[in-house]
Amino acid sequence: MLRKKPRQEEMIAEYVIQNKERFYRLAYSYVQNPDDALDIVQDSIHKAITSKTLKDEKAIKSWFYRIVVNTSLDFLRRKKKVTVVDDSTIQLHMSGHEDHYTDIDLHQSLNELVPEYRSVVILRYFEDLKLEEVAEILDLNVNTVKTRLYKALKILRVQMDSEEAN
Amino acid sequence: MNDKKIEQLKEQYKEIPIPLELNRVVYQALEKRNSRKALYRWGVGVAAAIIIFTTSINVSPAFAKKLTDVPVVGDIVEVLTFKKIAVDEGNYQADLDVPKVEMDNEALEEGLNSKYLEESKALYEKFMSDMQAQKAIGEDGHLRVDSGFEIKTETDHILSIGRYVEETQGSSMTTLHYDTIDKQKQLLVTLPSLFKDDTYIEAISANIKAQMRQQMEVDTSKTYWLEPSEPDGFKSISKDQEFYINADNQLVISFDEFEVAPGYMGVVEFVIPTDVVADVVVSDEYLK
Repeated sequence: MLRKKPRQEEMIAEYVIQNKERFYRLAYSYVQNPDDALDIVQDSIHKAITSKTLKDEKAIKSWFYRIVVNTSLDFLRRKKKVTVVDDSTIQLHMSGHEDHYTDIDLHQSLNELVPEYRSVVILRYFEDLKLEEVAEILDLNVNTVKTRLYKALKILRVQMDSEEAN
Repeated sequence: MNDKKIEQLKEQYKEIPIPLELNRVVYQALEKRNSRKALYRWGVGVAAAIIIFTTSINVSPAFAKKLTDVPVVGDIVEVLTFKKIAVDEGNYQADLDVPKVEMDNEALEEGLNSKYLEESKALYEKFMSDMQAQKAIGEDGHLRVDSGFEIKTETDHILSIGRYVEETQGSSMTTLHYDTIDKQKQLLVTLPSLFKDDTYIEAISANIKAQMRQQMEVDTSKTYWLEPSEPDGFKSISKDQEFYINADNQLVISFDEFEVAPGYMGVVEFVIPTDVVADVVVSDEYLK
């Protein structure tokens, strides 16, 4: 009774099923709880299959990551847990925090990064994506990704170094 | 920051536990797609409505079975489910099965099918506007419409299709419509066409009244509105009263809920013994 799915839809479904854990972890890293992360996975899948924005099937990886990242950021915005701000405000905000978290564990230190910095670290180092792919997913130019990565690492290093010192 | 630290962070990231529900959530999200898209195809602007179309036509199981039981070559009339329309919005539910007949007589086929489709469309539109109206005034309404069809009788000679509509809004109301088709002649059998003249109306009505009285005597739980003094009392069937022909070649007269009896009696029907109308029947072709 159900219509046969078009080929592209089949492909998306297959890709999503294969990589669902990755998308869940990515969503979780933003929202920090399982229920919301599951909601984001669900919403992302709906967006993916209804939006029909996948032009080049080879780009499915960055396309889907992008949907998950955007859905997560939208969610955070709606929840008003986090205000999304521009880079200079982020730096201003972050500089005030560097001294405070002296005995924080590794994971928490990652969570201390604002979502914009967290995204680049997760995508580049944890999901092993290329700088160009990260740039595409986050709709940034490569230089901005490099800058954010550098600053994010600097913040992490300060936190982790002070942790080691304890 | 050295690689070791990044590796440690990565390890922790990979250890984010995966909930068991993830699988279900993913598959459900992928499935929902189908119903959502069907909605856009129907072109109705109500986002929460879910409409399922059957693009391939299903033979009704009852009929499919009968086909294998009684292989009839030629003069075949088929009844299929043409469309399924479903709306599921909390307290507002609609479930409409639209039948479709297929036969050699194309004019009759077209006439019946467009009637069925029109009826279902009207039901759907009424349902949607009732729902919108109730929602607009913020009422916590309950509305349910079910419609479908069943093959009442299927012989080599005739096919009687019954279509039912059950509307529930607080209490429920069921209406029934029948079409009887002569499969061999490819004709629609109407009630007047069975008889020589209008005297069948009186003969059948008198028989039904007698049956009503008899039933009420035997079973005190039964009630029919029969008193001639009452405005709603049953006086006579209409010229085109709903009917079908049963497998014993007898005429069955059907009344909707509340038409001749209180609601608890539901839809009622009376089998009319053929000798009651023997004088006025055109031939013994259908009624025996």
